[in-house]
Amino acid sequence: MSELLRTNLYDEHVKLGGKIVPFAGWEMPVQYTSVKDEALAVRNSVGVFDVSHMGEFFIEGKDAEAFADYLVTNDILNAPTGKAVYSPLCRENGTVVDDLIVYKIAPERVMICVNASNIEKDFDWMKTKKTGFDCSFTNLSHVFSLLALQGPKALETLKSFVNELPDLEYYSVFETSIGSHPVILARTGYTGEDGFEIFGHHQTIKDLWKNLMAVGVTPCGLAARDVLRLEVCYPLYGHELNDEVNPYDAGLAWTVKPLKTKFIGKDILESKPAKYKLVKLILEKGIPREGYAVLNAKNEVIGQVTSGTMSVVLNKGICLARIQIDKAPTDEVFSIDIRNKAYPAQLVKKPFVTGGHK
Amino acid sequence: MSTNIPSNLNYTKEHEWTLTEGDIVTIGITDFAQSALGDIVFVEVPEVGADLKVGATFGVVESIKSVSDLYSPISGEVIAKNNDVEASPEKINQDAYGSWLIKVKMKDHSEINKLLSAEQYQEFCNTSH
Repeated sequence: MSELLRTNLYDEHVKLGGKIVPFAGWEMPVQYTSVKDEALAVRNSVGVFDVSHMGEFFIEGKDAEAFADYLVTNDILNAPTGKAVYSPLCRENGTVVDDLIVYKIAPERVMICVNASNIEKDFDWMKTKKTGFDCSFTNLSHVFSLLALQGPKALETLKSFVNELPDLEYYSVFETSIGSHPVILARTGYTGEDGFEIFGHHQTIKDLWKNLMAVGVTPCGLAARDVLRLEVCYPLYGHELNDEVNPYDAGLAWTVKPLKTKFIGKDILESKPAKYKLVKLILEKGIPREGYAVLNAKNEVIGQVTSGTMSVVLNKGICLARIQIDKAPTDEVFSIDIRNKAYPAQLVKKPFVTGGHK
Repeated sequence: MSTNIPSNLNYTKEHEWTLTEGDIVTIGITDFAQSALGDIVFVEVPEVGADLKVGATFGVVESIKSVSDLYSPISGEVIAKNNDVEASPEKINQDAYGSWLIKVKMKDHSEINKLLSAEQYQEFCNTSH
């Protein structure tokens, strides 16, 4: 196994008592004090995550928007400059290479933020697709640190540290500075709450982290992040998404725009092929975990839990589960096999928790 | 990690504690275990009357993030379970030694001698991570 990487904030996490675990090739804090307290800080106040392990690619030049639009299934060309767009990145056969956010920072300047575990896979894939596009394409993941400041008090907290902070729309991006240091600020996140992701050079971000700690922002680890994203039903690559499924299998039909003239995977994805359906299930008793079997009314296995946890807001077990579409029950009676016992599970249509983002 | 290890109890390498009073053994999980697990949100233990075998799994403790099996320190019959802790698992985080899980009527007293003393458990915690 290759050596684990550390973000520039590693020593800060250790000083704060963060419990460090290997994640996607990095040594990352999974929690500092309590997963529950950290998650609730984000829901009710403000918390900050070090997500510097994530990847940042830049596309610059005349065809920057066109290249980004060709790579992904969602519509980049028609989004105005200053917008951020969530999208899967698919192969010709429709399977998902990764999910990512495309930031239209300025005309002819696009940033793409990708999952840490997929940086090399994504970059290599995208590079092979650049032929014919007049733009540069660079991987600057090693140059940037990234914080996610999340929660209803994120805006007022961040205001005192950055030179200019307009009341940006959710899912938009803005270039500003902290002191004399440039940062890219996006009103995005992975918690369902209002908040910002702040991309900057290592020392700029380290100073900001320390300043946020000094004003009492709660440091939050990966475990809280996972609970928060699952409560609002955001998919996680390696769980709901992987190299074998397409966006329709993962409930992401809304991110595929077959009317676009060309994009990788268009020919297949136009026909909306789906082998699976991603469902949201909530339990009165028991905690569903990844890999547990989902059963129908006849106790037949019809699918698997892709992510499960105890919701800190609802105090109930919640999960996302991948159901084989030909076996999806019409009566919608589900249970989950937890240690050889069937626990009833209720299907819900809306996310378990409504985040407070704009 | 600072841990609280009362000297009147015995311990297992799976981080259970036992209190022996005559034939009756009270079982819980240690302060070290609760601290390592984090917020405990679910506890499942056998019903009264269940037969336990030493070393076999008899239930689970779940934190938000993980599931951990419980291993029986001794063999015997479950004579009581702590319904309060099943209803409010966070009590284990607040007081690991006050929050027992089950009481067992033991079959074989010699099994107690195979458990760790407080000193041995302390040593085990110091070297096992």
